[in-house]
Amino acid sequence: MKTIFKLMKAYPIHITIALIFMLTELITELVLPLFIGRIIDLGIRAEDLNQTIIWGSLMIGVSLFAFVSGIINTYFAAYVAQQTGADLREKVYIKIQQFSFKNLDRFQTSSLITRLTNDVTQLERFVFMSLRIATRAPLLIIGSTVMALFVNVRLSLVLLIALPLLIVFMMTLIKYGSVLFRQIQHKLDQVNKVMRENLSGIRLIKAYVREDEEAERFSKKSAALKDQTIFTLRLMDISGPVIMLVMNAAILLILFQARDAIISTQLDIGDVVSVLNYATRMMQAIGMLNWISMAYTRSKASINRINEVLNEPVDLTTGNNRLEHKETDSHLTFSLVRFRYQPDLEEALSIPHLNILKGEHVAIIGATGSGKSTFMQLIPRAYDPTAGHISLYGQALPTLTLDDLRQHIGYVPQSTQLFSGTISDNLRFGKPDATEEELILAAKDAAIHDTIVRLPHGYQTMIGQRGVNLSGGQKQRLSIARALVRQPALLLLDDATSALDLATERHILDQIKKRQTTLIMVTQKISTMKQMDRILLFRDGHLEADGPHQTLLHCSTLYQTIAKSQHEEVTPWQEADINLEKK
Amino acid sequence: MARGRHQPREKVKIDNPWPTIKRIWHYLGDRKFKLILVLVLVTMSSLLSLAGPYLLGTIIDELIDITQSTRLTQSLLLLGTVYLISIVTGYVQQFMMIRISQETVFSMREQLFQHLHTLPLKYFDEHQDGDIMSRLTNDIENVSQTLNTSVIQVFSSILTLTGTLVVMVTLSIPLTLVTLLIVPALYFGMKWITKRTRVYFKHQAKDLGDLFGFIEESISGIAVIKHFSQETNFKQQFTDKNARLRESGYRAQVYSGFIPKYMNMLNNMSFAVLTFVGALLAITQAISVGMIITFTQYARQFTRPLNELANQFNGLLSAVAGAERVFEVLDEEQDYTSVAHPYVKELLGHVAFHDVSFRYQDELILDRVSLVAKPGEMIALVGPTGAGKTTVLNLLMRFYLPENGQIDIDGYDTRTLSKHQLREPLGFVLQDPYLFEASIMANIRFGNKIATDEDVIKAAQKANADSFIQKLPQGYQTILKEDGKGISQGERQLLSIARALLRDPQILILDEATSSIDTVTEVKIQTALKRLMHGRTSIVIAHRLNTVERADTIYVLDAGKVIESGNHKTLMQKKGFYYNLYKRGFEETGS
Repeated sequence: MKTIFKLMKAYPIHITIALIFMLTELITELVLPLFIGRIIDLGIRAEDLNQTIIWGSLMIGVSLFAFVSGIINTYFAAYVAQQTGADLREKVYIKIQQFSFKNLDRFQTSSLITRLTNDVTQLERFVFMSLRIATRAPLLIIGSTVMALFVNVRLSLVLLIALPLLIVFMMTLIKYGSVLFRQIQHKLDQVNKVMRENLSGIRLIKAYVREDEEAERFSKKSAALKDQTIFTLRLMDISGPVIMLVMNAAILLILFQARDAIISTQLDIGDVVSVLNYATRMMQAIGMLNWISMAYTRSKASINRINEVLNEPVDLTTGNNRLEHKETDSHLTFSLVRFRYQPDLEEALSIPHLNILKGEHVAIIGATGSGKSTFMQLIPRAYDPTAGHISLYGQALPTLTLDDLRQHIGYVPQSTQLFSGTISDNLRFGKPDATEEELILAAKDAAIHDTIVRLPHGYQTMIGQRGVNLSGGQKQRLSIARALVRQPALLLLDDATSALDLATERHILDQIKKRQTTLIMVTQKISTMKQMDRILLFRDGHLEADGPHQTLLHCSTLYQTIAKSQHEEVTPWQEADINLEKK
Repeated sequence: MARGRHQPREKVKIDNPWPTIKRIWHYLGDRKFKLILVLVLVTMSSLLSLAGPYLLGTIIDELIDITQSTRLTQSLLLLGTVYLISIVTGYVQQFMMIRISQETVFSMREQLFQHLHTLPLKYFDEHQDGDIMSRLTNDIENVSQTLNTSVIQVFSSILTLTGTLVVMVTLSIPLTLVTLLIVPALYFGMKWITKRTRVYFKHQAKDLGDLFGFIEESISGIAVIKHFSQETNFKQQFTDKNARLRESGYRAQVYSGFIPKYMNMLNNMSFAVLTFVGALLAITQAISVGMIITFTQYARQFTRPLNELANQFNGLLSAVAGAERVFEVLDEEQDYTSVAHPYVKELLGHVAFHDVSFRYQDELILDRVSLVAKPGEMIALVGPTGAGKTTVLNLLMRFYLPENGQIDIDGYDTRTLSKHQLREPLGFVLQDPYLFEASIMANIRFGNKIATDEDVIKAAQKANADSFIQKLPQGYQTILKEDGKGISQGERQLLSIARALLRDPQILILDEATSSIDTVTEVKIQTALKRLMHGRTSIVIAHRLNTVERADTIYVLDAGKVIESGNHKTLMQKKGFYYNLYKRGFEETGS
């Protein structure tokens, strides 16, 4: 809640105006029952037409005034709510952008998206409601009680007893209810999970004839949800009748009291009507309060989820130094680098010393979990090493500005992520001011130019959700081209050529060589390794072997095994398909 | 018809809601009588709520003439009884309605879920998961909420409205007329407001969709954004879209915020006018003070349902629309089914396709395909993407029915076998195996529900999966994340092989992974697969040379036709399509 108040503080004038007009609206409304009493006593009962006209027009005037105040309040409250909502959304968005990869690992993508969309919207709605109702209802309750007491203490004493009773009752119910509602939500998530799994795994379920078991699993979860919902709703729905019961009892008591008081001629009938009117308004306000408290329980979950994001400490800081391009042979060095993902997990990588030369082409191979992906991630500072340091041209990575570091490196991840827009937009992604020639050059080097030209609108073809679908290999080539547009000095390909046939891959590697770019690539293909200057073979987080193909063939048994198995096994037919299609 | 779930639902429009309402009515089943009882209770409490203000009025009058009054205590007690009964009936009807609506929704949800499993695979090809999901959740939820609240409210609103009107007319026609003044004021006022809100809500929905789409893309692509240091650029776009949403949201909220204020004012005004006119009448002795009080209360009772009715009615319509979308699924034609073949006991696994043709959305996918796999043999399907290899597997599993021709297992037409007879002797290892958000143990056991823990572990060992499973923090009890994220693709393959091993099928269906699996795991997969295929009929979509070379028969498919078949040797000698395919693939490994 504090987060929101802090954001709302940015609009003190609007909030003050909104609150002032809410108060005026409230006061005028509280005055109305008083006038009703007057019109009855002074007008009707005294049979005085003038008085009736005076009080009657006063009432109309006052309700018009309340209306105008209400409208002004709406204007300002809506302004604050929308502004706060937008600010909150922006704050969360910026925060997520600042996240390091380590931070991002802790949240799922889909969960971050819901937090930014649904949760913020939920909160926004709550802020608006609070500005109009949440503050209004308690004030209305207090105001009505005070006014009723002012009209007649004896009659209104009942209200003073009923009110705290109801408040305590409501608080207990809501406290209990929020627990119950959370359980419902949990059970609903379970039902949805089974459903989602059944949709995604429909082929498997059909193939293994598991429909009946799945239906039973679903039925169990669904029944649990049903029972919990019935129980909770039945319990929570008690609040309305109880409020009615207590307030109606209060009204009856007021009438009983009125009888005695009128007999002893202490009381005018107009006062009775006024007090009754205040009691009714109170009842409505309590109902409102009850309703908004329920709404609060629901938005509380959203608040927590947003706070989780905002309170997540960002553990990546940018350095201040600019990167200097030195004319040295060595480009990238690792010294005494150790890394583990979590303090309690095993060491994922340990490299005592490694020096990669400028313009060198290096292949990274190894089994899953051998540390090769970790190695690649450390270079653009997706993660920082737990110990030791990595440097570019002798400058330690954390001392460099993140912008400079990432400008220097072209990183092509394993899974290609393109954005909706034209092919040009996507190629220009890393360098918005790139010229047409630069794009074409990069596309040619990535062996995708010919494909692009053959598309219906060439470089202006839309891709992504509403555009053409590209094949896996085309996407990989496009994302390599996107990296090349930036003319990085160091290119990292994280298994980004897996769907390419060998001829295409060779073409791309040759072009990269011509650009004199240092290249580090993860690959599984032995034929690719043969073309590289150097191969790093990873095993269990260590560098098992380091050297060119021939050397490794001689001195590493693991490399021999891999080479042998590959020689026998792997020639993806897919690649042959692509070649045939090209013909 | 697949409706996107992001489409803004503006105003619900339904041509004829009655058939749908009738169907919902059927769903109520035995609960119908309970619902009728609820409606009786609603009638009761509505009538009682009419009596309240009238009694209050008489009490006020008696208070005024307290000296002549004899029945005051009686009236007070009567009022108390009325209040009590109406509160109790109010709660009882809610209490009952909650069960009615939850149980109805429960049976609807269950039927829908079971029905989904009887639908042909084609249905899932043609509908997005999100769309089906939204029918199972949002639409059903919509029906539930409406049943829960709207039914009672609409019914009681109508009753209260007519009842109030009748009582008011009998009590005093002039005051009734004054009260009715509120109707045109309400109508025109709301019309003025909704005309504006509708436009702004549309803007808001558009801007919201725009921003949400942007958020979705920029969060999914956050790694790329960071690597290309485009944070500022994206922040700028976000700020622009966010500002646009803020503007339209502000307008929509302001205008819709007018509604309660306007209602409130109308209430107060009518109150003032009523008392004023009432006072005039009272002075001429036509009516009593109590009557005025009665009327002010009725006026309040009158406006609320008037406003609610419009809202609730819209809610009712949207529930009907939701139910229609649910029924749409239920009306989908079910998949082909057959009763168990009386003579089939155990299948040996002799698979044969006789001149099988298949058409999908008017496109001929398979054209008179014939192939044979004898028990224990391995046949390989090769050919370019889109040649129809996967369709062969899908037809064998009877996910689709062939247009022409016949598919036999052990000489029995697969169409004459029951689902269990057909699929139980089949095992699968597919390219991208699906894993459930459950323990590894449960995921492997999916292949054979009666397997013991030991069986599962044995299968995992044979599948070369045991070593990596042992390394996981909770071993076999490790819960996999949604869709198996957290373990590598190769490891998922291994689990899928273990699953198939546990099933111990006569016929194995295998779609080899194309690439992207590291070499060490690849070796593990290959040896595990060899173990799995041993002694079973295997039908393989092959991407590995070595697999193809081992095959008893290779079927080369192109554009839905078998263009060549034979073993590796004969096909190589033939120097045809296969030869070219092989040569290209082979040369490019550079050895």
